[in-house]
Amino acid sequence: MALSVSDDLTAPEVIADPHSYYRRLRDQNPVHWNDRWGGWVLTRHDDVVQVLRDSEAFSSDRMGYLERELTENEVEPIAPIFDVLSRWIVFTDPPLHTKLRMLVNRKFSPKMVETYRGTVRKIVNDVLDEIEPQGHMEVVRDFAYQVPMTVILELMGVPDLIRVKIKEWSEQLGLFFFIRADEPRRRQFATQGISALAGHLTHYLTHVIEEKAKNPDNDLISLLLRAEMDGELTRDDVVATCVLLAFGGHETTMNLIANGTLALIRHPDQWERLKEDPGIIKTAVEELSRYDGSVMTTVRWARRDVEIGGETIKAGQRVLVGLSGANRDPAQFEDPDVLDLTRDPNLHVAFAHGIHVCVGAPLARMEAQEAFTALTSRLPCPKLETEELEYLPTVVGRSLRALRVVF
Amino acid sequence: MSAEATIAVNLARCVGSTMCIQVAPSVFALTDEGQSCVIDAGGDPMERIVEAAENCPMEAIRVEDLRTGTVLFPLTEES
Ligand code: HEM
Ligand code: HEM
Ligand code: SF4
Repeated sequence: MALSVSDDLTAPEVIADPHSYYRRLRDQNPVHWNDRWGGWVLTRHDDVVQVLRDSEAFSSDRMGYLERELTENEVEPIAPIFDVLSRWIVFTDPPLHTKLRMLVNRKFSPKMVETYRGTVRKIVNDVLDEIEPQGHMEVVRDFAYQVPMTVILELMGVPDLIRVKIKEWSEQLGLFFFIRADEPRRRQFATQGISALAGHLTHYLTHVIEEKAKNPDNDLISLLLRAEMDGELTRDDVVATCVLLAFGGHETTMNLIANGTLALIRHPDQWERLKEDPGIIKTAVEELSRYDGSVMTTVRWARRDVEIGGETIKAGQRVLVGLSGANRDPAQFEDPDVLDLTRDPNLHVAFAHGIHVCVGAPLARMEAQEAFTALTSRLPCPKLETEELEYLPTVVGRSLRALRVVF
Repeated sequence: MSAEATIAVNLARCVGSTMCIQVAPSVFALTDEGQSCVIDAGGDPMERIVEAAENCPMEAIRVEDLRTGTVLFPLTEES
């Protein structure tokens, strides 16, 4: 059967409406070899869960694979950065993964996260105090960004005057990471841009960490430093983990808050429903994560030949794991394209699954719960200033460039 | 060690993160489906079992005191 789905994952119509694209793919060829990207694309819930659960057959060592792809001359100038990135838990396999993960996990368990709820509620309401009298806002910049960034830096114990700088750097960093696969200048970006940018962030945090080492406190950085003193981690592991948390901790949550706000604006009845019954906030956040989550895909590399849905994924081949595709799979979700804030059960994979399941998920969930509760209780359902919305052209992140609303 | 706790893993929530297994390896194990199950409720001391439940990112583990029936985790029940 000729496939009526193109392999260009960053074509304008895919970026504008990825859910329709992945639905067509799932309907026509759920285990699809994408020649242009050079890997398999999965869009069924069952297949996605199978791959994410099997970390023995499917590796996350993204840096290792990327490094082998580049030539020696290309690698040399970015070697120090590779060193930082390859220590990130998101890109490591056990046993290093297990060690880092257990340390960080303690600070992010649901029980721990509950103790930050009061702080987060205050941050959200302070931000809304500024917005409310104005009658309009740019949701991404004025609301969605402010909340997670303030929270993660507070948890890490980083002084907040540096917030703006970190936002600038991580934006540029993000632009590199989420760059189009077919972008011919990708390698040039890689070799030039990244060393400068990640360098800034790493350099600054190294500084903060050195200060902390002199005056340890109760924050996350101090916790990692104690593990360093116990000989469990090296200073490089500490720095790398802090860079990851500063970067991964806000971009994704920001996008969930922005995408969720948009979904509620497009379904004013659901906005009212949440306003009237804030008790549904937990299932509401799960549903908003499923409906238009902030991470659409992740990647794994097959370590050996594995069969998925009747196709053989060969050792060394890469797999684009379609989280958004899985989240709209009718085999798993009734009326998958309907937004239902009380959907339960809701086994979505917006935070992935298996050993790499998002360590920040309990925190992101709680932040989103506080954000949407305050938003719907304090503001009337806003109107979009324009229907023309623009998303960053990436395969991974579902990120609005801006969301202007009036209320 | 004889069991002091009743432990339940909610399979509608477990995402196979293996956190519980890292903390209490004699109590929890991964099934072929990649989810957690209880292999020996008395395999590790009670504090470890509660710590395992606390570390679960999905709050999928429920721990009760076998004798008194007191819920040790989660402290507030989900509605
Ligand atoms: C809505 C918000 C978020 C979404 C949708 C999200 C999504 C994800 C996904 C899908 C993964 C798995 C990647 C993979 O398996 O390849 C992941 C991993 C990770 N996330 Fe998140 N995330 C969010 C918020 C956060 C926050 C707030 C933090 C930190 C404070 C965080 C830190 C991490 C870390 C450290 C990992 C790597 C975990 C590991 O490899 O063991 N994320 N996230
Ligand atoms: C948190 C910081 C992150 C960094 C530093 C990072 C780094 C990178 C780098 C260097 C690449 C280029 C690899 C290549 O072109 O072959 C890449 C691609 C990719 N990353 Fe990330 N990443 C991050 C977060 C994430 C997360 C959270 C996910 C998904 C859950 C993710 C999914 C992907 C995917 C799917 C690609 C392939 C995109 C393509 O080839 O078009 N990344 N990332
Ligand atoms: S920690 Fe929770 S989610 Fe992870 S395997 Fe154990 S029960 Fe499942």
